[in-house]
Amino acid sequence: MTRKLTLTLAALALVLAAGVATAGAGQEQRTSDPGVTATSILLGGTSPLSGSASAYASVARGADAYLKYANAKGGVAGRKITYKYLDDAYNPAQTVQATRQLVEQDGVFAVFNALGTEHNIAIRDYLKAQGVPQIFAASGATTFGRDVDAYPGLIGFQPSYQAEGWVYGKYLSRTGVGSRVAVLFQNDDYGKDLLAGLKRGLQRSKVKVVAAQPYEVTASDVQSQVAKLKSSGADVFAVFATPKFAIQAYVFANKLGWKPRLTINNAVSSASNIMLLASEGGTNKVVNGSVSVVFLKDPTDPKWKNDPTMKLYRQVMKKYAPGANVNDVYHVYGMAVAWTTVEVLKKVGKNLTRNALVAALGTMSMGRNPFLLPGIAIKTGPSDHFPIEQMLLQRWDKGAWKSFGGIWGYRAT
Amino acid sequence: MADFLQQVVSGLASGGIYGSLALALVLIHRATGIINFAQGEMATFSTYIAWTLTTNHGWSYWPAFLFTLAVSFGGGVGVYQVVIRPNERGSVLRVVIVTIGLLILVNGLVQLIWSGEVRAVESPFPSGTFTVGEVAIAYQDVGTIAVSLGVVVLLWLFFQFTKIGLAMRAAAVNPAEARLVGVRVTWMLALGWGLAAVLGAVAGMLAAPSVFLDPTMMQAILIYAFAAAVLGGIDSPVGAVVGGLFLGVLLNVLSWLSQYGLFDWFTEELRLPTALAIILGVLLVRPAGIFGRQAVRKV
Amino acid sequence: MSARLRRTAVPVVAFALLAAFMLVLPAFVNDFRAQQFAYVAIYLVAITGLNVLSGYTGQISLGHGAFMAIGGYTTAILMTDYGVKDVWTIPAAALVAGAAGVLFGIPATRLSGLYLALATFAIAVATPPVIKRFEGFTGGGSGINLFGTEELTASLTPVEILGFELNFNNWLYYLCATVSLVLYVVAWLFLRGRTGRALRAVRDSETAAVSFGVSLTRYKTLAFGVSAAYAGVAGSLFAIATTFVNPDTFPISLSIFLLVGVVVAGLGSLAGLVAGAIFIQFLPLWAQEVSKSPGAPAVVYGAILIAVMFLLPYGVAGLIARLLRPRRGSTGI
Repeated sequence: MTRKLTLTLAALALVLAAGVATAGAGQEQRTSDPGVTATSILLGGTSPLSGSASAYASVARGADAYLKYANAKGGVAGRKITYKYLDDAYNPAQTVQATRQLVEQDGVFAVFNALGTEHNIAIRDYLKAQGVPQIFAASGATTFGRDVDAYPGLIGFQPSYQAEGWVYGKYLSRTGVGSRVAVLFQNDDYGKDLLAGLKRGLQRSKVKVVAAQPYEVTASDVQSQVAKLKSSGADVFAVFATPKFAIQAYVFANKLGWKPRLTINNAVSSASNIMLLASEGGTNKVVNGSVSVVFLKDPTDPKWKNDPTMKLYRQVMKKYAPGANVNDVYHVYGMAVAWTTVEVLKKVGKNLTRNALVAALGTMSMGRNPFLLPGIAIKTGPSDHFPIEQMLLQRWDKGAWKSFGGIWGYRAT
Repeated sequence: MADFLQQVVSGLASGGIYGSLALALVLIHRATGIINFAQGEMATFSTYIAWTLTTNHGWSYWPAFLFTLAVSFGGGVGVYQVVIRPNERGSVLRVVIVTIGLLILVNGLVQLIWSGEVRAVESPFPSGTFTVGEVAIAYQDVGTIAVSLGVVVLLWLFFQFTKIGLAMRAAAVNPAEARLVGVRVTWMLALGWGLAAVLGAVAGMLAAPSVFLDPTMMQAILIYAFAAAVLGGIDSPVGAVVGGLFLGVLLNVLSWLSQYGLFDWFTEELRLPTALAIILGVLLVRPAGIFGRQAVRKV
Repeated sequence: MSARLRRTAVPVVAFALLAAFMLVLPAFVNDFRAQQFAYVAIYLVAITGLNVLSGYTGQISLGHGAFMAIGGYTTAILMTDYGVKDVWTIPAAALVAGAAGVLFGIPATRLSGLYLALATFAIAVATPPVIKRFEGFTGGGSGINLFGTEELTASLTPVEILGFELNFNNWLYYLCATVSLVLYVVAWLFLRGRTGRALRAVRDSETAAVSFGVSLTRYKTLAFGVSAAYAGVAGSLFAIATTFVNPDTFPISLSIFLLVGVVVAGLGSLAGLVAGAIFIQFLPLWAQEVSKSPGAPAVVYGAILIAVMFLLPYGVAGLIARLLRPRRGSTGI
């Protein structure tokens, strides 16, 4: 026992000495920002690869596939882009830990395409303190585009949920299809922002929101909510829900024999494959004539069958994301983000620093992004970090979406 | 009034689904004394098998249905023999952890194999509705409840009158004595897992046409099914179905009343916690549930 | 050396070794690793407490994430609404969570085995939506951010302690490591004496325990309260380390991981508990290294969990006992 103790103490002393010796060795001088060399750029972000929101993992996969394709084409200014995405299981506590790993251990140049509203909120103060840009946060929460002064390095990508809701409101108040709107919305930031935007769009018009029913993302079904909305006597049904619940909403409305004059379905769940499921083989009349906004090219839409970009999309998916579902529109979203990133990096050029990147992000003006619908521009300004503020309306007609009318623009305030 | 009745009918529809999964929980508890946290995920897996057969391989509904039940039965027996039985001795903690490990594993497998996309599953019932007064009732929901009640009757007949059923009960209640009278206890317990997996598959295939199939389909339903099973009495099949229906109706009625200022503390957030409060309340006040027999505690 | 002395000396030496190791660890690893080990220390606190309940008293809890949530929110609310400095919220979190544990423990003493597992599972599932419901108090789904607040030590500027300047990660690490070691000693002392014997008696045979005059209600409730207070401290540290709380930061999976940690740890060994805490923190990270396809990390994680039950039925502690003695250790779970 005594010998064991002596040995232990000796070992301990050794360990302590070594510790003191190495303690000072950690500091190194940096000449440029982390994550950038003459031949490489390292981006990182979190994505829900596991857990209940893992359907959104396609956003990261699509972006990753496009960046690999871009690298194969020579990269940007001689640099290859590596995109390291880590699982956060859609839990903000894990987003925080994974983001710290990306920043402190992997030394990423910027946090890119991190998914989720609360998830981006949980890391933004930290990233600001670290001076790491937080680019193209994958969430439509208004705060990411609006609060530029507080978070100059933070920028979103997609149209804000408020903007989308506003477009529906304006459309309703201009066309007068119905006058009483019933809303099913997910009881979180996303659903509430859409509802708030809708109400703003309806201001000073005769159209009113007469009923709004929330549902929890943990619910098993939304049958009860749809029945309540039906009994409100509304003639417009607005569905602000994620795909599974949006399908349920259509099916339950049909079951209850509710025939609203118009149904509105938010962009999150208006992919053609979702609508086809909701239409129950064409028998569900509630689906017919549904209206939604759109800003991305839908991979299942036959009109893009010969579109060169969508052909490229399918090739890139096949090569760099084998086995993934090509019909999933979230992959297109990921590629649209990645395309924009490549363009911005090209614009910054050789002297790539974080400051230069943030400056370039604040002055984007791209006439066309091939993954977005023709006519939709990407534009930002010093106090406007909403890259996409334009969208089109589309109508579900005979089993396919058809866009109509001009481009709707919204300026968030 | 029609609004209110419509809420009751909707509640019965949701409750029928809770009850059908609760039946599987009850069966496994009755046959093996285990609460299987992976029951919902196993049911989801089975439902995906049926979906693959009908959608990708062109099978028609009933052959796919029967084949799925057979595969599920084999899967249930296999799961018991391979991972549950070796961990059964010792404390219940090990079994709990193993079923939770299964839950995580099977959920991952489903995502890996079939991705997170939402799928539509065929229904054996007509898709339309009929109306009574102003209340719309879907054939699908009537069918779900009818099947659940049918299963209750079958289970009763099985446990009461067949030799295997009696042997299964004996194996669960007193394994040592059952062994003495020649019951192959291990296989009886495995059979319990197999049958529970079959009931889970039925529950999944009943639920999928109305709530739609995705990897998380059964997660919310499982928790309501726990509440339904506990409420009805965790050993009582009829209790499971009645508990499910009651729970579905109760939550909808609370939600409906809250619009009119009654129970106005009840918001959508509290749907799940209310179900869970029922679990706690029943366990503490009357652990045998409404239909279960109060067990005499052995000391 | 007498057997009695050895029984005290071995744990004390082992503890001293661990303490010394933990003291110098940040010198060998980068900042980020130090932060990961801070989380290991946090989980060590939680499972040291849960071990009192599930290991020593034999009561399964699938709900200790809920008590962590109570501790975490106590800290977050005290810091942001009442301007209390982070470290001073830790005792408050212990008290609030401990009280909640006693309140739940009193009725829960009537439940055993699987029923208790189910009841505690219900608590864990119900907690996030209930937190969300009381938005005015808890910030609802958007949660509470702590980063950069004056009450949070070292998040923006390093803190000086005993002449050493510590950045946020090292500060977190030393804070969590110190708390975990102190609380480990407290638990060790608590379980060594009469109370520990009473708790073990409850686990081994309730009937026998009662016949020896041990009050089941009293000791089970005590075990619940103590373990919940530990979980509260862990939750408080978790909130400080994560600098953010919302309902999703305390999901049901957290409760499950804690119980898994206790099972991996086995009974009666510090090394086991440390192994359990490391398991909780690092297994999910390793699992996603295997494959990033959707669902694959979960498959790996679930498979490892089941494999552990096969390979280490008595946890790491059981493994150590088996290695040290030719006969299998008598402690079981």
